[in-house]
Amino acid sequence: MRKQIETWLIFLFLSIFTLGTIYPVLNIFGVSLREDNAFQTRSLAVISENSGLYNYVQLFTGTDFLIWLKNSLLVSAAVTILGVALASTCAYALSRYRFKGRNLGMMALLTTQMFPATMLLLPFFILLSKLGLINSYLGLVIIYSSTALPFCIWQMKGFYDTIPPALEESACLDGCNPLQAFYKIILPLSTPALVITALFSFMASWSEYVVAAIILQDPELYTLPLGLKSFQSSLATEWGLYAAGAVVVSIPVVILFISLARFLVSGLTLGSVKG
Amino acid sequence: MIFKKIIYAILGVFFISCFDGSTEKSTINIWHQMHYENRKVLREVCNWYEDENPGIQINLTYRETEELRSNYQSSAMGGSGPELIYGPSDQVGPFAAMGIIQPLDTLFTDDFFNTFVDNAIISYQGHKWMVGDVVGNHLMLLYNKNLVTSPPQNTDELIAMGKEYTLDVDGDGKIDRYGLVWNFTEPFFYAPWLGGFGGWLLDYENQPTLNTEANRKGFAFIKSLRDEHKIIPQECDYEIANAMFLSGEAAMIINGDWSWGNYKGKVDFGIARIPMVSETGLWPTPIVGTKGYSINTNVQGRELEEVNRLLQFLTSAKVQLYFTEKVNSQPSSKAALKDERIAENEILKASARVVEAGRPMAVVPEMRAIWDALRTQYQAVLGGSATPENAASLAQKNALKQIQLMNEVQTPGNSIWIFRLGMFLLGGIILLLIIKNGKDIAESFRENKTAYLFIAPAFVMVFAIIIFPFFYNILISFSNFSLNTFRDWQIIGFHHYVEVFTDLHFYTILIKTGIWTFTNLFFHLGIGILLAVLINRTLPAKPLLRTALIIPWAVPQYISALTWRGMFNQEYGSVNMILEKFLFMEGLQWLSSPTETFIACILTNVWLGFPFMMIVALGGLQSIPTELYEAAEVDGASRWQQFKCITLPMLMPVMIPAMILGMIWTFNNINVVWLVSNGGEPSDQTHILVSFVYKAAFNLYRYGYAAALSMIIFCILLVMGIYSIRQSNSTESVY
Repeated sequence: MRKQIETWLIFLFLSIFTLGTIYPVLNIFGVSLREDNAFQTRSLAVISENSGLYNYVQLFTGTDFLIWLKNSLLVSAAVTILGVALASTCAYALSRYRFKGRNLGMMALLTTQMFPATMLLLPFFILLSKLGLINSYLGLVIIYSSTALPFCIWQMKGFYDTIPPALEESACLDGCNPLQAFYKIILPLSTPALVITALFSFMASWSEYVVAAIILQDPELYTLPLGLKSFQSSLATEWGLYAAGAVVVSIPVVILFISLARFLVSGLTLGSVKG
Repeated sequence: MIFKKIIYAILGVFFISCFDGSTEKSTINIWHQMHYENRKVLREVCNWYEDENPGIQINLTYRETEELRSNYQSSAMGGSGPELIYGPSDQVGPFAAMGIIQPLDTLFTDDFFNTFVDNAIISYQGHKWMVGDVVGNHLMLLYNKNLVTSPPQNTDELIAMGKEYTLDVDGDGKIDRYGLVWNFTEPFFYAPWLGGFGGWLLDYENQPTLNTEANRKGFAFIKSLRDEHKIIPQECDYEIANAMFLSGEAAMIINGDWSWGNYKGKVDFGIARIPMVSETGLWPTPIVGTKGYSINTNVQGRELEEVNRLLQFLTSAKVQLYFTEKVNSQPSSKAALKDERIAENEILKASARVVEAGRPMAVVPEMRAIWDALRTQYQAVLGGSATPENAASLAQKNALKQIQLMNEVQTPGNSIWIFRLGMFLLGGIILLLIIKNGKDIAESFRENKTAYLFIAPAFVMVFAIIIFPFFYNILISFSNFSLNTFRDWQIIGFHHYVEVFTDLHFYTILIKTGIWTFTNLFFHLGIGILLAVLINRTLPAKPLLRTALIIPWAVPQYISALTWRGMFNQEYGSVNMILEKFLFMEGLQWLSSPTETFIACILTNVWLGFPFMMIVALGGLQSIPTELYEAAEVDGASRWQQFKCITLPMLMPVMIPAMILGMIWTFNNINVVWLVSNGGEPSDQTHILVSFVYKAAFNLYRYGYAAALSMIIFCILLVMGIYSIRQSNSTESVY
């Protein structure tokens, strides 16, 4: 009985908190339904009188939104796959092996995140144009992966650290080689960390604008953030389109999260060590 | 293995896509900042041109004004960039000073230049740099014809009418309609009044003239409209003003010619000059800007001829008239102006009368410094922290100081020798270290081949692209790279570092950045972990709640940050409405006083950041065996004890990376501060170190200084990073 009351209290708290959390997003949704292209409103109500799906129709029929969506999905998928593949292996070595340069390497990964990104743009541009990577997804994917990897590696390493090495040791006794132990024992146990790595890598490329803006100049190649940003110009933004785009852009993230969320539970229990 | 195949496939596609761009057509790239509707027209006329010239393909790339500027600088500097750049005339000064656009005098004859009205051809330092196709961009008074029958002619009438139209319709003590709204805190929107009081921003020698009676009166006048006559809202930025005028909640608005398209069909509006200042008998002088095309300095030879032809086409009377027909733009070609379609256009006629009172936009790079100094002090007056007298004199002083900083060219001093010696020593030490440790590493490599193979791909990926920019920045930070040395900078030593450390301002911002970082991190982690723990149990509608809670992470940051800015508006924002209606508190001036603005930025960023921490914590919770809790329950441990002794310590290994990186990211998070405070408002007091760097680099073109500041930020974060890793090392392995 006490437990049930507790559950409902927590549910109530979370519901109120969630409402507060999504209120600003509802505002954006409200703007996307308006036809008068005004950004601000002065009431707490979300949906105003002159609402309609005009902006959504416009977004899909009057702009290159679908091309941007396709481009973004391609880039983000590549970054996610690269991120998961590289981070899971690299972090495993960092967690399980003790070798020279390990600590330095881990620290060096962190240092790449420390430099203010605004100052990197000019040298990035010089470098990429010398390498001929302007207007190509290759340059973009490399940069996105390199920005997402440090966190993913650290995060995966932290998770591996919580998995007892005894598991692999016993697997090796049963005849697995170290690689098999990694693939067959450790990776399946690490799904929560893999989910976070995947989500993070995906988001790092899905919503990135600044680097994309210097690399992609051909409108055919635009990713979603670049496309959305083209609805904005100083003092004359197409707010309706922008907001509609923003709402649509968040849908794939939500779908990805929902489909990955079931892996956010792990089979790891203390029993697997003792047993 | 499947992973690998997919990666190869994807990389293959990328390689192919980088090489298939070569066709036999010659391509001309145009970068521009045209408004949405204008872009469609530009594409159309470029299609005409392509049809007439089958050998030419025109690529159009849109960037927002400021970004156009900074991206063009980077690309032209890197030896590439678009052939043609289209933008407002005030970019001419900096671009010409940097040597990244070419003078047009030798490319075209005077006969060509004479086909345009005078202010369409932009000159700077004795050369012509830009051919304008549009003259306008000027501010005027727009009035809602359903409310206002005839526009006010002078400020006395404006105030009287303003009072008449400012109403509390439903009697709840809140104003429901204002007489006048506009983006009054922005200096560009204040400048006309400065002219109306008989002053101006700068003189004919391009020196700032801000410490004048006119400026003091102008400051006081705008403040009195808000505080004494109460005909304009307390807080009002461009978007709020726009929305109020659209919905009939404002009778009049001061806005530019670009806004007509948006109001057409939604509000029945009329156009008039901004009312004459009664005290002086002068009409306010809106700034009249030109927009046009310049040619990249990297374009040479035959390509240059083609670009010239395209430029002539794009500025021709035929194209200008088409633009006018579609988007009501004010042409600059004399032939186009004589056309009957222009002469009979009612809006353009009214607009032409407004332009008569206007003054041309100054193109000198110094203008930036003047805007900046004016903005800070003007907002201080409006915020009540300075008198018009002090503000005007300080604005002048700061403008002069910033102009001096912007234009100064440092030469290598004596410290260059210390610098060289230092570099020499550093190189030596690194060499020694490599020799000393080389053997160990080789040995370790032989022992741990698998480990090195595992980490190699990721490390190559991460460092391949970052190393060059990093060292480039170190180099720049010791150089005099700035506006006037854009193409021939040289190493000068520690000058910029000394400058940063001797500036008191640096320490204030550093403290602010510290508060910003740790408050954010505290709430991100606190809320994230709390939510993760609460939701990691059996609950009704759990998947729904969990998904809803990550939404702040999913929505593009740009629009959600601006939505929050709207929500913080003093009179109309939802934050204050909730405070007043449900908590019975006074509403706060979120966006016009420094402390509140800073808190507003933090609140926004907390909202943006907690979902990520929640997901990480949720993942971390899965690594805690449930048996531990069962055992604890048997031993009679309370919930809190369980949380403190099991959950937190077991969560640590997974949370620490997110914690340390969260700290670094928050420290360097420029977006939220920049968007919510609109670039540091009020009065440039809402800055953290990175937004300060951004301003130095792109506003005043002080790249050397900005790079030095970035290096200092890097070192601060390095120390903080190493320290926090040391602190957390004890938790490296729990088993």
